[in-house]
Amino acid sequence: MSYEDFLADEPLIVTAALTGGVHGKEANPNLPETPVEIARAAADAVDAGAAVVHLHARAANGERSFATERFQAIDDAIRERVDDVVIQHSTGGTGVPTDRRHLPLRTNPPPEMASLDMGPVNRYDHLTSENTRATVDALHEEMVERGIKPELEVFNDGHLNEVHGLLNRRELADPVYATLLFGDGTLTRPRPANFLNAIANLPDGAQFNTIGTGRHQLPFATMGIIFGGHVRVGLEDSVYYDDGELASSNAQLIERVVELAETLGRPVTTPAETRQILEL
Amino acid sequence: MTCPYLAYRRESEDHHFEEPRAYCTVVDRFVQPMRADLCNDRYALDHAEHCEIFRKAAPIDEADPVDTEGTSE
Repeated sequence: MSYEDFLADEPLIVTAALTGGVHGKEANPNLPETPVEIARAAADAVDAGAAVVHLHARAANGERSFATERFQAIDDAIRERVDDVVIQHSTGGTGVPTDRRHLPLRTNPPPEMASLDMGPVNRYDHLTSENTRATVDALHEEMVERGIKPELEVFNDGHLNEVHGLLNRRELADPVYATLLFGDGTLTRPRPANFLNAIANLPDGAQFNTIGTGRHQLPFATMGIIFGGHVRVGLEDSVYYDDGELASSNAQLIERVVELAETLGRPVTTPAETRQILEL
Repeated sequence: MTCPYLAYRRESEDHHFEEPRAYCTVVDRFVQPMRADLCNDRYALDHAEHCEIFRKAAPIDEADPVDTEGTSE
């Protein structure tokens, strides 16, 4: 994918990251946590132009849940309110045993997509989300068994090597779909040159998705649009709409990026078109 | 054993929640849900090892935790 894809008006997949697994309503009271709140946010996100919803589950008090039943409740609530959307579950889980991270893959039906973190990520000052190769392979194995498309989360350039290593170890269905993250901490330093380097080092034929966290959400979404990639926005990745201004909803962030894409000449995909592009 | 500085509260100056949520009495604010797992020593997490706030805080008798309201998941 490249600037040529932008010039060709290739359609853009917008993913809405509605909730996340790190912060909650203490950071932004508009962040959805319960199944009903997440389903309403999903419906609004789809109305705003999102084709994919990236989901994390929470307990009633906002704390993290990895239970299949909680993901099932979210999916069921979304399907009651949304005619069509691609559901993507997170398998991330800092400090959580690998067996629990498989649980989001076991809903009925399984999610069409699931995230697959490609390597370690530091959290706070004394904690690392390990994501060993064995964990990656085990999660990928179950995704293959259940017909789930992996979304390879590339937190930094070292994880680009891990993508190539995964392709050497295992067979991945085409197209490889990699999400490039830019932001603070362990993420790739959010600078344009690093974005260009990352997309140049993806496997041949890969489709890429772009995340900029915090204040980098909009500029990196813009780069993703211009360089033929896809974009993810939402309250998981930034609780702000503008400097110091909390976002009023996930839909507000999606509306802005959809308007930007359309201004730049890239139409956004429907869920059906997304399935064609990603061969779901 | 959970962190002795952990409390579950519904309200602070800036927030009101229907369900009691994890609150750190060292920094006097509600904590992120990910950090709440750490406060509760869930999964493979241990507040004494992984929480920089606990490690920097003044010693406290872990047998005498601060007041709590409600329980976690």
